[in-house]
Order: sequence, then structure tokens, then C-alpha cells
Amino acid sequence: MKIEGVYKLAAVRERVFERLLDPESLAKAMPGCDSFEERGDGAYTARIKVGVGPIKGTYEARVEILDRVPPEHYRMTVEGKGSGGFVKGDGAVHLSPEGDGTLLKYSGEVQVGGLIASVGQRMMQTAAKQIVNQFFQAFVKLT
Amino acid sequence: MATKYLGERIKRKEDPRLIQGRGHYVDDLKLGGMAHLAFARSPHAHARIKSIDAGAAVATPGVLAVYTGEELKGQVGFVPCAAGLEGLKIPDHPCLATGTVHYLGEPVAAVVATSRYGARDAAEKIEVDYEPLPAVLDMEKALVKGSPRVHEHLTDNTAFVAKLEAGDWNAVRQDASLKVIKQRLINQRLAPASMETRGVVASYSPGEDTLTVWSSTQIPHILKTQLAIMSKLDEARCRVITPEVGGGFGSKLNVYGEEGVACFASRKLGRPVKWIEGRRENMLATIHGRDQINDLEIYAKPDGKVAGFRCRILASMGAYHQLLTPAIPTLTALMILGAYDIKNVFVETVGVFTNEMSTDAYRGAGRPEATYIIERAMDLVAFELKMDPVEVRRKNFPSSGKDISMATGVVYDTANYEKPLKKALRLAGYNRLRKEQERLRKKGKYLGIGVSTYVEICAMGPSSRMPGGGWESGTVRVEPTGKVTVLSGTSPHGQGEETTFAQIVAEQLGVSFDDVTVYHGDTSVVPMGIGTFGSRTTAVGGSAIYYASERIKKKMAKFAAARLGVKPGELLFRDGKIETSDGAKSVPFGSIVVDAYSAKTLPAGVEPGLFEQFVFEPPNYTYPFGAHIAVVEIDEETGEVRLRDYFAVDDCGRILNPLLVDGQIHGGLAQGIGQALWEEHVYDESGQLLTGTFMDYALPKAGCFPWFHTANTETRTPVNPLGVKGVGEAGTIGSTPAVVNAVVDALRPLGVRHVDMPLKPEKIWKLMKGNAGDGGR
Repeated sequence: MKIEGVYKLAAVRERVFERLLDPESLAKAMPGCDSFEERGDGAYTARIKVGVGPIKGTYEARVEILDRVPPEHYRMTVEGKGSGGFVKGDGAVHLSPEGDGTLLKYSGEVQVGGLIASVGQRMMQTAAKQIVNQFFQAFVKLT
Repeated sequence: MATKYLGERIKRKEDPRLIQGRGHYVDDLKLGGMAHLAFARSPHAHARIKSIDAGAAVATPGVLAVYTGEELKGQVGFVPCAAGLEGLKIPDHPCLATGTVHYLGEPVAAVVATSRYGARDAAEKIEVDYEPLPAVLDMEKALVKGSPRVHEHLTDNTAFVAKLEAGDWNAVRQDASLKVIKQRLINQRLAPASMETRGVVASYSPGEDTLTVWSSTQIPHILKTQLAIMSKLDEARCRVITPEVGGGFGSKLNVYGEEGVACFASRKLGRPVKWIEGRRENMLATIHGRDQINDLEIYAKPDGKVAGFRCRILASMGAYHQLLTPAIPTLTALMILGAYDIKNVFVETVGVFTNEMSTDAYRGAGRPEATYIIERAMDLVAFELKMDPVEVRRKNFPSSGKDISMATGVVYDTANYEKPLKKALRLAGYNRLRKEQERLRKKGKYLGIGVSTYVEICAMGPSSRMPGGGWESGTVRVEPTGKVTVLSGTSPHGQGEETTFAQIVAEQLGVSFDDVTVYHGDTSVVPMGIGTFGSRTTAVGGSAIYYASERIKKKMAKFAAARLGVKPGELLFRDGKIETSDGAKSVPFGSIVVDAYSAKTLPAGVEPGLFEQFVFEPPNYTYPFGAHIAVVEIDEETGEVRLRDYFAVDDCGRILNPLLVDGQIHGGLAQGIGQALWEEHVYDESGQLLTGTFMDYALPKAGCFPWFHTANTETRTPVNPLGVKGVGEAGTIGSTPAVVNAVVDALRPLGVRHVDMPLKPEKIWKLMKGNAGDGGR
């Protein structure tokens, strides 16, 4: 499944970039995030409660930040697994200045498996969009 | 005049309790100390198990035990496969995966806890570290050299190759007058989706060293034998009880790993263990049906007579063989000529391993595929030669009669294909429909008429052709009070044989239908048996009961003859009396029962008591046939198919109870039409199941269907004393091609000659918009 989107943020991109990699901000903004910890070398571990349709579960995820080019670009891989199955993602974030603020573009490929795929597949695209929206709505307030 | 029971519309004995919710299913069973079993299943289609951490699950309050495949090694045998084919590869099939998982939903670990929810919650806490491996889903890709292998230790993904060839193919190839028609047909994977999911309670008593298993199964006796072998227990100390079963459709003609684990857990823990499958597990990990790719080549004469027929069958096995997995597509090959006298035939069947759940018997089991192939073939001939599809069929029917030898090697017991066809054409008003179609076509409307004149193979079967024998046992016991107990080795689960068998015995013994009670599905009550599948229950099991009642009659007649001073052969059993044919001399049935049990005056050479058993060995299969006609309309805006009318004329031999025959046909039609129009079980490329719920898997509801017009012709079979052939699967077998033929017929003005199932609106809409996509040609 492909996901992509564009967001306009009021803060300058240096600040947005910094916040996007700050575990505390991410933990606050991420819907259902219980913990988000830095492991060093651009790796993080997170515990996230997510629900897609009838499938609600807690996922242990390993997030890795790659190809970091502050303040404009980074790539992110996510590997999560939990009671509802597994999630694997690979995506990129681009920041470009726009007026006083920043234009954020993200795109990526997400693969899901297990229960979440067999039950939630139809809702997945919508659910993913909703989660991303919730994240940015909360994230905007932190920047 | 004696009371007649056979052939009457008698309401089912089963229904009052089932309709009122008073039947007892496996899940209704509650035993003291009963624990609950749940499974952790693979979220990958193919992966190496790097590690399993059950720590959190074990530490959960209420959890009694957690088992993995490693712990079962040497303790529980492999899941059995009974199919015997030359060169068949049978990979070891452990109850819980060891080392590698081979399909999505494969059980990896089992949790036993004091509550059902506790067991499920704990199963979710089991941490399994997987290393994903490439999965093979596409059968053709699986057969390509160098493809990833489902089982690494096997050389390739071919489970078996079987060939069937007859006739003179050189002559066929040299005949330039023959039109060669080629077509690929996809027979999609389906979910049997019985209303009751699987369920088992295993109860091991350490003191007595006995194992009692309650299972929602179609084959209690076979299950008992297999569980004893798997569990390494003395079979004489094992008992399987089958309570009410809420549908099986072949999916419970099996021995499942979960049952092996339940027995193991109960033995280990010394307490009863219950496992009830969830619906999502059922969609994922109960056998699937169909899943074949068929490439056909038809060699037709200009007049529509088919001279030769070739087909290559690719049949998906899934990752492992269940009980009969590889045997199912061999039935397709056997029945591929259907109702047509085709002398030259060649069928190559290739069983293919894929990283999917196993396929196995699903209502019709190999024959719906065969019928779909040959009935589509007949329509393809009609399309190419611009003939009426009914005419093409008539050109190819064999002459009516008995013992018709087919090029495939089977011998049809009876054939009279014109009879139901004629009746169906009249019932449907075929000529009128064709005229209506012509009128509507001028207005740009789509009306389609589809015909299928099927033949299937039932009453399974002669032991020489069945892996574990094809006989069936029947016991009739007249109780000292004169009431009658019947025991059958079959295991009906909705088909209604508690009624049919009582009809047979009541009519035979001349007792009241209400005085006959039928028991089945308990291996300690019924001496021996095979089970219910392959439309065999009445034809084979009923025949055993018929002959057991004959034995009772013979014995009672000896007692009665002594009393009446006549010869035993002169006596008739009717209306509670045993009497001479002129009615001049008679004795009440009950008095003879008392004579037999009190045993004061025994006729010479006669033992006391009235309980007799018979094991019936059928000399041949039966080959029911019929003609189905579907009438469809297609919405020219949306492409949606509306089934306007359905006519089914089935010849299942002698009809013992028209109500039950109708019921079987109605249910069968729903499943056959479901495949044609809506149902498909879909995995994505990585082996994830996309149709894991009824939100995604389109199981039809009653409202999807018109009222079915059903009728029968009765051509009795000589294969059994009742003259019955079997009707459990006919509706499913006959209907799928009838509906597809109707839809393709409707689209004929567009030059469409084939569309693969299911005939979803989007496919049809694309064809109507001139964008064939991949579904149509």
C-alpha cells in the first residue's frame, strides 16, 4: 500500500526537522503512542496502540532514520509487530520552505500482514490517512 | 393398505430441536475442570521461525500450559493424508509448525488456560521472531524452474502428476475437418464457510486411560482411528462423539492438527480441553475448496459432435495435504467428460504446492470443477459453431441405458439425459425465452439463458476405489418394548437421514415412523462406520440399514411362522402386524418381539434377541444427472447480474422424501451460484488473505436468489436396493456452469465467449464498455 501526502506547517523548517526527530514530540503527537525512545544511531523503538476497523492491537515498532539531510530530507523505515500482525514501512519526508512556514511532503510504501491484512485491508488506506492526519494535527501544536 | 413412508413428504425429525435451538453442539458441552485451547498463528505465508518467546503467555494468570511444535515432536504424529497416488509427495505435516511456517494462519503455538478469553489473550502474547522467506502463490510461477520452494527439502513444487488418456489421438490430430477450440478456465478458491466453525473437546481420563473426543466432524470413526494413531493411544480406549454439526460441506471430512493438539493437551494436563474455532480462523485455516486452472482443447466436428477433449488441470494443494487434498482433482479428471460420449480424451493433472491453506473436499469436491469444464466446453462449441447450446449437448449425449462405459474408464450406472433436459426446457419455456432474448437484444438489453446438463459421481463408493474403504454399516435393533433403534456408521449433519433412515425402517418393518429412532456419530454406540460425504449417506448407509432390517424381518418371520403355522416366506410386515398376504392370519409385531427376547420357544437354529447388522459394499458408484437452466438479466448501466429465474431438474434416482431432496437442491444451488457470481477467496502476492471476513468474502444471503423452480425425473439405480443415487452435491455441481453460461450468453452480442468467475459487476461493466481487462475474451 502506498501512502503520501502534503502538509503545511507554520514553523520554519529547521524547527520542523528537529521536532520530527525528537522522541518526546513524536511520542506526544503519535496517536496511541505509549513510548518512543531513541536507541542511538538513528534508531528508535516505539510502543503504539493502533486500531484499524475491528483490529485493535499494541505494536512494538523499530524505527530507523536513514539518509538524514537536515533540514530538508530523511528516510524512515518502520518494522512493527503485535497481536494484530505485522507492519513494514519505508518512506521519505521532504521539507521545503514556503513563505514563513514549511511545506512537508511524505511518501512511502507500507506492507501489512496477519490479522490486520485479512480483516482490515479495506479500511487500511482510510485508517492510515486518519492516523497521519491525527499525528500532524497534534504535531502542528508542538512546533 | 399398509402405511407408506418411502416417497412421502415427511417433515424432518431433526427440525423441532434445531429450529427451537435445543440441539447440542460441541460448544454447548461443559465438563468439570474443562480448560480452553487457543492458537498463535503465523502472520506470514512463508517464514523461518527464529525464536518463540512464550514467557509473557506462560506468566499470564489462568494459563495452564503453552506448547510449541518442538514439544510435540515425537509425542503427536503428523496430520494424516489418506490419498494414495503414484509418485505423490506428502510433506510431513506437524500439528504445530517446527522450524518453518508454510502458510498464513499455520498454528505455531498453543495455549491452554482456564478460560477461553484468557487462552486467546495469552496466545497474543506469544512473541515469535520470524525471518520472512519468499512465498509462492501463483501455481504457474510455482512450477517454473528455480521458483522458491514451498518445502525446501523437496526438489520442486509439484506434488504429483497424473495422466488419463484414451482413444486414438493420431486420428483426431489428422482430421482436418475438426475445429480446435482452446480456452483457459479459472476455478477460483472458495471458503466452505459452514455456519458452525470447527470445534473439539478432548477429555482424557488418566485413571481409566481413555480418551473421549467430541468433534464437529463428518467422519467420527475415521477420526477415532486417526487420533489414536496420532496420539499413540490404544484405539480401543478412544471414543469420538459427534454432537449436532452445523454444516460441513466437506470441510469437516478431515483430521485437523488442532484436534491432535487438543488430545495432547488433555493427556498432559489430565483435564478436558475445549477448542472452538473463531470465524476468522475458519476463513484462514479450515480447508478451502476448488482452486484450479484448466486449459482445455476441444476438437469438434462441424455438426457439433466432439471428437476429442484435452485438458491440463493445475490444482493448488496449498502448503500441505490434508486428508484427501490430492485426491480431489483426480475426481475432476474422472468426471471431465460429463454427460457426453467423447471417445478421445487426454487429461493431465498437476498438483501444485503453494504457500496457502490446503484445499480439500468442498461440496462437490472435484466434480463441480469437472462439470464447469465440460459444460463451458459445450457452450464454447456452440459459440464457435454458431449453434444452439442445447443442440450441441444433444449431439453428444450417449444413448440411454445402463452401464455406460466412458473413455475415462468409469461406468455410468444409468443414463437418460434427454429426459431431464426435456423437462427443464419445458419448465423454463426455453423457446419463448430465446424469442424474448431476441426482442430484448434489439433494444440493447442483456438477457442470457444458460444450460447445464450435468452428470456427477455419488454414493462413494466401491472400496476398491476409496482410500479407506467405501462400505457402510447399519444396525437395526428392535427394543423389547417394540420400539426400534437404528444405528448408522454415516454421520449426517443437516442432510436429514434421521428422517430418511426411519422411513426406510418403518416401511420395511411395518412399524410407525414415530417408533423409529436413529443414532449416529458415536463410535462407542455405532460399531463401525465411514461417514458422511460424497453424497453417500442414503445410497450406501441407507442400503446397509435396509439390509439390516431385512435380516430382522427374516428372523421375526421365523418366530411368526411358528406361531401362525405358515411358511416364513409368506409373511408381510405392515401396520404393526406380521401377516399372511391375504390378511387371514396375523400376529402383532409386539408379540413376536416378546417371543424373541423371552426366548421361551426358539425356532430351530434361531438366536434370541432382535438386533442385526449389515455392512453394505456398493458394487459401483452412482451417477446422478440433471438439467439446469439459468436465466439472467444484466444491468446495462452497472454490469450487475440479476438471476431472474432458475430451473433445476435433477435425477437422483428414487426419491425417498421429496422435501429433503428439495432442501438439498436449494442449498446446493445457493453454493454453486455463489461461486459463479460472488464468492472468491483471495490471497495477495505475499500470501496475505484479503478475504478474511464476511465483509470481504461475498457469501450469498437468501435475498440474493429468486425462488428456485425444482423438479425431478426418477431413474432408479441398480447399484443399491433402494434405487437411490445421492443428491447432496448435485445442486452445487449443476448450477455454477448454468449461471456462467447464461451470463456469457447474455454478452454474446458483444462477442464475449468467456468470463472467469466470479462474475462481478466490475468485470461485466468493463466488457460492456469494450475494455475486456483480464477477465474476458
